Amino acid sequence: MASIYNFKKIAPVPDAGDFLDIVLSKTQRKTPTVIHPGYKITRIRQFYMRKVKFTQDTFDEKLRQILEEFPMLDNVHPFYADLMNVLYDKDHYKLALGQVNTARHLIDAVAKDYVRLLKFGDSLYRCKQLKRAALGRMATIMKRQKDSLSYLEQVRQHLARLPSIDPNTRTLIVCGFPNVGKSSFMNKVTRADVDVQPYAFTTKSLFVGHMDYKYLRWQVIDTPGILDHPLEERNTIEMQSITALAHLRAAVLFFADLSEQCGYSVREQMSLFESIRPLFANKPTMLVISKTDVCKLEDVGPEERQLVDAVVKDGVEISHMSTYMDTGVIETRNLACEKLLQQRVEMKLKGQQVISVLNKLNVAQPARRDTVDRPVHIPEAVVKRRKYDSQDPGRMVLERDLEADGGGAGVYNVDLKKQYMLASDEWRHDVIPEIMDGKNVADFIDADIEERLAELEREEEKLAAEGLYDSPEESEDEEDRRIRSLASRIRERKQIIAQESRINNIGRSTLTHQQKATAGISAPEDFADHLRQLGLDGDAAQATAERITRKRQRSESRNPAVVLAKRSASLAARAISVQRDRSTMGLRDAHQQAESERIKTRALRNMGSMGRAGEADRRIGTKMPKHLFSGKRGIGTNNRR
Amino acid sequence: MAVRAQFENSNEIGVFSKLTNSYSLVAIGGSENFYSVFESELGDVIPVIHTSIAGTRIIGRLTAGNRRGLLVPNSTTDQELQHIRNSLPDSVAIQRIEERLSALGNVIACNDYVALVHPDLDRETEEIIADVLGVEVFRQTIADNVLVGSYCAISNQGGLVHPRTSVQDQDELSSLLQIPLVAGTVNRGSDVIGAGIVVNDWSAFAGMDTTSTELSVVESIFKIQDAQPSAIVGDMRDSLIDNYS
Repeated sequence: MASIYNFKKIAPVPDAGDFLDIVLSKTQRKTPTVIHPGYKITRIRQFYMRKVKFTQDTFDEKLRQILEEFPMLDNVHPFYADLMNVLYDKDHYKLALGQVNTARHLIDAVAKDYVRLLKFGDSLYRCKQLKRAALGRMATIMKRQKDSLSYLEQVRQHLARLPSIDPNTRTLIVCGFPNVGKSSFMNKVTRADVDVQPYAFTTKSLFVGHMDYKYLRWQVIDTPGILDHPLEERNTIEMQSITALAHLRAAVLFFADLSEQCGYSVREQMSLFESIRPLFANKPTMLVISKTDVCKLEDVGPEERQLVDAVVKDGVEISHMSTYMDTGVIETRNLACEKLLQQRVEMKLKGQQVISVLNKLNVAQPARRDTVDRPVHIPEAVVKRRKYDSQDPGRMVLERDLEADGGGAGVYNVDLKKQYMLASDEWRHDVIPEIMDGKNVADFIDADIEERLAELEREEEKLAAEGLYDSPEESEDEEDRRIRSLASRIRERKQIIAQESRINNIGRSTLTHQQKATAGISAPEDFADHLRQLGLDGDAAQATAERITRKRQRSESRNPAVVLAKRSASLAARAISVQRDRSTMGLRDAHQQAESERIKTRALRNMGSMGRAGEADRRIGTKMPKHLFSGKRGIGTNNRR
Repeated sequence: MAVRAQFENSNEIGVFSKLTNSYSLVAIGGSENFYSVFESELGDVIPVIHTSIAGTRIIGRLTAGNRRGLLVPNSTTDQELQHIRNSLPDSVAIQRIEERLSALGNVIACNDYVALVHPDLDRETEEIIADVLGVEVFRQTIADNVLVGSYCAISNQGGLVHPRTSVQDQDELSSLLQIPLVAGTVNRGSDVIGAGIVVNDWSAFAGMDTTSTELSVVESIFKIQDAQPSAIVGDMRDSLIDNYS
């Protein structure tokens, strides 16, 4: 992609004095300022070390910023590197940056030395003197950079004003002797406003302008005039042109003034072309005969004509134009652009990158897959409509115009309902409730609701006519009757049970546990009766029920073996309550017990013999706490309060 | 003539507008400038309608439609639906769709005859699309992107697809859609074509950042003002090569 060099963002470089002020005042602002001789010496040392280190850090940071922001000549495009060499002198520039770098290192070294010395400072006074010395030496180093800094500031200001030329984009370079009409051409084809004056070296530096051709953005570089003399003799102004010609891959437009109004003969001009021809190698080059309103190629003498013809070879094309008459300007530009574009495309086609754009150059044409015709749909009105023109007095009134009339954006309230296509225009601004009777109105909106209702009604009538809703005929047979009577008997019985239970439950709001447990259980006899009532044999059922539900009588004795088996060993142990000896608890055997006893007596021996208080003894920390025994006494003495 | 426009400093105008051959929807913005760009180009031909969808301004991404119909997501409010219904001619059917992928503009790319849709779209939705919009529906991806609506812009004249669409894919899609296709960018290299431009059969609107090269590709492929797609391989070839690589 385009590599944009922007030197406008370099921060200003302060001069040496300002630099010191900035750094020292920052130290003063950002480090502690209060220190007393009574402080611990380590603290005093640390206080001054911090000052020294902080100052060094600030210097380092500021200088490093300068070094990083200024472009490295080895890293920028050769065009810029060369241009900077021409304008600022490469050696001087590198030296200045080198000195700044050296100063940075020196300051670092000074700080390191003095921090080391401060470690041995034995009083506030000495520490302070060491700090003063350190800052003083740093300041001296910076003051020595006065010239470098002021030079760098000048360079910065100049760099920021350089035109932003993209060395890789499509470029036309306009060159030639002074005063041959280069800047006039530039002003014609681009929107740049270069100063044009009737004297030599009006243009003293490179100027850049932009134009559009074939959907692409092109830059046109206007160069200062160059004279025909050896490279060594060229001045800074001319060298800028040479730099641009040497390093930019661009189309070159060499301007020649055959009328010799510029003050240089045709011979001189053609000899200049020949001498700088090496710079045109591999570049589309054009010889532009300017000022054709004054002198055309046909008007010159045979000698000059021969000189011109000698130049036009090796792909150099000739073009005629007059900026005064406005003839041939665009043709010249187009020819140059076309040649350059051709060359660039050829070069790119040789490279690898073009593969990735091949799909963007391909228009996929559909293969017919059926016989369906798919015509475009362009309304008649489109063809007939007049193109909107903001200057036309009879133009359409746009919403924007209404907005401007209605108080501008934020004030004007657009009428969203203006374009409603309703059956009657009067309805347009009718208010429709969103919610009505707790119902969302939208849920009930249906364009043909009446039609559907009618349809439903018709369907309903039809169904009714077919007799869908007639009740089915009565048809009861023997089986049904039997089930019915049984069911009624079951219902009757249920009611009786419910009533009985209600009578039994009077005055007893809650059931006992016993009752709960037996609530659903009736005696085996009831069960048998019930069965008998239903006409079934109840005896067998009763026998079974009795066997299952029989309880053991109190008098019946149990089998002692069974009773014994049920008793567990744990029960036996738990039956007797014994207080056990805690001193033996947790000890495995007598041996372990003896051992623990031995350890205990040994530990206690010393304590006991000295009569010392153990942790278990009652302890009174202060026998007579002052606050309890001081204060006003009865006789008036000792009134401490 | 393809026109450059900007919606409140955003170049993604396809997000804030929808353009078809029979109507155009435009989001309600702070000022009427964006609306008037559409109005001045289309005002006397088709209705240009202010609307929101589900209270948002990203109407271009939420709706899908063509000359015959408009599909809006489930989140569209009743009032918005009523407003759109009142504003559009009766020949345009409006359908609110119950669909998990509710950004219909991102998942459906259609002209008046064919629609490309997201491969995961509901079968029911697919049927609704076919019925309401009257189109053949194909489940497709564009340059391996499932959001077909975001990465292409199509009209009955032609279509612009994601810049990384391979030549084979272009041919295949072109045969499905039965229109010429070209891969390209809008908005100075943006690959979200659907967000960068809106087109119909006779007009195109692109984001303000669109370069003149991109705009001329748009004009050629969509045959705006009698431009022809053949220009891309003819006149503009050199410019394109120099510009892209």
